[in-house]
Amino acid sequence: MCDSVVITGCGIIAADKIGSASHLDFPGFSFPVGEVNYSDKELKYLLHIPDSQLISRTSLLGVYAARRAAEDAGIVSETADRCVLVSGTTVGGMDLTERHWQDIDNHSDVMLQHDCGACSDAIADYFGFFKQVSTISTACSSGANAILLGAELLQSGKADIVFAGGAEALTKFHLSGFASLMILDKDVCRPFQPDRAGLNLGEGAAYLVMETAHHAQKRGAKILCYYRGGGNACDAFHQTASSPTGEGAYLAMSQALDNAGLQPEDIQYVNAHGTGTVNNDDSETAALNRVFGNSLPVVESTKSITGHTTSAAGAIEAVLCIQKMQQNSSWVNVMNNSFGFGGNDTSLIFSSNPYCSDKYKYDDGIEIETLAKSEITSEDDLDDIKQFLKPSEYRRMGTILRSSLLTSLRALKQSGIDMPDVIITATSLGCWNNSEKILDNLPEPMPTLFMQSTHNTIGSNIAIYLKCHGYNITYTQGRDSLQRALDDAGLLIKSGRCKTVLVGLHEETTERYRNLMKANGIDQLPSLYSMSMVLTAKK
Amino acid sequence: MDNLISELKSRIITALNLEDVKAEDIDANAPLFGDGLGLDSIDALELIVMMEKFYGIKLADASQGKAIFRSIATMAEYITKNRTK
Repeated sequence: MCDSVVITGCGIIAADKIGSASHLDFPGFSFPVGEVNYSDKELKYLLHIPDSQLISRTSLLGVYAARRAAEDAGIVSETADRCVLVSGTTVGGMDLTERHWQDIDNHSDVMLQHDCGACSDAIADYFGFFKQVSTISTACSSGANAILLGAELLQSGKADIVFAGGAEALTKFHLSGFASLMILDKDVCRPFQPDRAGLNLGEGAAYLVMETAHHAQKRGAKILCYYRGGGNACDAFHQTASSPTGEGAYLAMSQALDNAGLQPEDIQYVNAHGTGTVNNDDSETAALNRVFGNSLPVVESTKSITGHTTSAAGAIEAVLCIQKMQQNSSWVNVMNNSFGFGGNDTSLIFSSNPYCSDKYKYDDGIEIETLAKSEITSEDDLDDIKQFLKPSEYRRMGTILRSSLLTSLRALKQSGIDMPDVIITATSLGCWNNSEKILDNLPEPMPTLFMQSTHNTIGSNIAIYLKCHGYNITYTQGRDSLQRALDDAGLLIKSGRCKTVLVGLHEETTERYRNLMKANGIDQLPSLYSMSMVLTAKK
Repeated sequence: MDNLISELKSRIITALNLEDVKAEDIDANAPLFGDGLGLDSIDALELIVMMEKFYGIKLADASQGKAIFRSIATMAEYITKNRTK
């Protein structure tokens, strides 16, 4: 039986204007930002979290927004049923890490809050009613992908209630990184304007409470609106630039419309990704024109108010979309675009009308088969990349990018598949080697290293090499990362959305990181591990 | 100028990890982007970082790089005129 997905609560925290950073201690940084108007101390006080508790700003913002969402939806532990948290972040606990980095050997406990999965766990721990936590890290589309996954979990019956969204704090790490890419505007950003000169970074968090219509009715919850459909595609063009034709954005929006059973002219409003960089807005305009032609709806970017809140943007803007739809009774269907580094592009549609389709019906009876598997456990194996790539093709790739691409290409070759439908990446720590170098050199600009410091660099690097425009996502949940990736592969295959999935688990650590974790009682971490496998439905 | 050109060649090879390229193979007048060495926008940013670090030249806008980085020769010319170290 088909049931629509409803939104029964929204929680949001974000800046309402662009200004100078005051809570982030970053002397000499002159670009304006969208900073949340509370210090960590104030957030802790408001949330009744002890001042002494070690918790990242990303988690604090996340707790704040999730608490608002829970209140809005009337969720307390007794009503929580099978309640799942799906949260997007990329920065994770970097604010704590960079604050203590110069003296990190005496603050090794900070590293337990560093990774993205740990930040989501800290949010979930505050509430105590989440049965599972899943963290998505696809850079600036993380929050949107969390909502997309939330709907999948509900439609397949894997969850009763999902809190889906994202959280991201401002850090010196990514402010310096974006500055080194020379795409920050020294004034308030001007998305889609001819004189636009870059973006402003922001911070914040937002969560939607999602459930099936049946579940919401059963507990008597008010329905704010319906989740109508979504699309995830990969631009597969460049790590930090969007293609001139906006291919990934075009595919994501087209799939969202198809998934929602709507035509372009049914959409009244688009909350665009609209960062304000010359490249993004040109590419997104091209994609919007391809999708909507002469029936272009109202297109707006809210990033000149909140700043670009990166991993939280998809969720923050989903909430703003829903609020705008509620304020404007003639708007029935609204679209939200979020595009990430590496071309991880996602588009979501919310509606005031219910909709469900049996087109992709989840069938748990379908068994999954592993067609091929390839593993690398040592840097000595990396030379084999030369069998597949020219030096000019891998010259910029760090260790984990080489190992992940090599195992992927080997597994694909072994399975006789040139192009997978879907690429799903699991990593608990992402591109740590580059991140550590950036931390050592803050705030010096290092464009190539920064470009390869987000977790989704791994999966998008594979997509860019293969020119694979299919669904592309990255899970980062500590030791459960691979399980989350396999769960999603199962959802996609068993609902008939795709035939072949390339799944990988990729990890790299430095000696310094291993020593810090040893001090936390975590031993025997590998310096390098890459595993790729090709999955399909058993015939 | 010749010294600066050969210095730039080896600095570019190191900064951009062009391990299969030898300094003597680079034509100082050949285009750096597109057909020549096949560099892209991220390489341009690395060249901007390099100019600041070694020659004390700060560019405010990445688009300025387009004309300066046309070839090693144009880069050397710009550095000679504007270097502060």
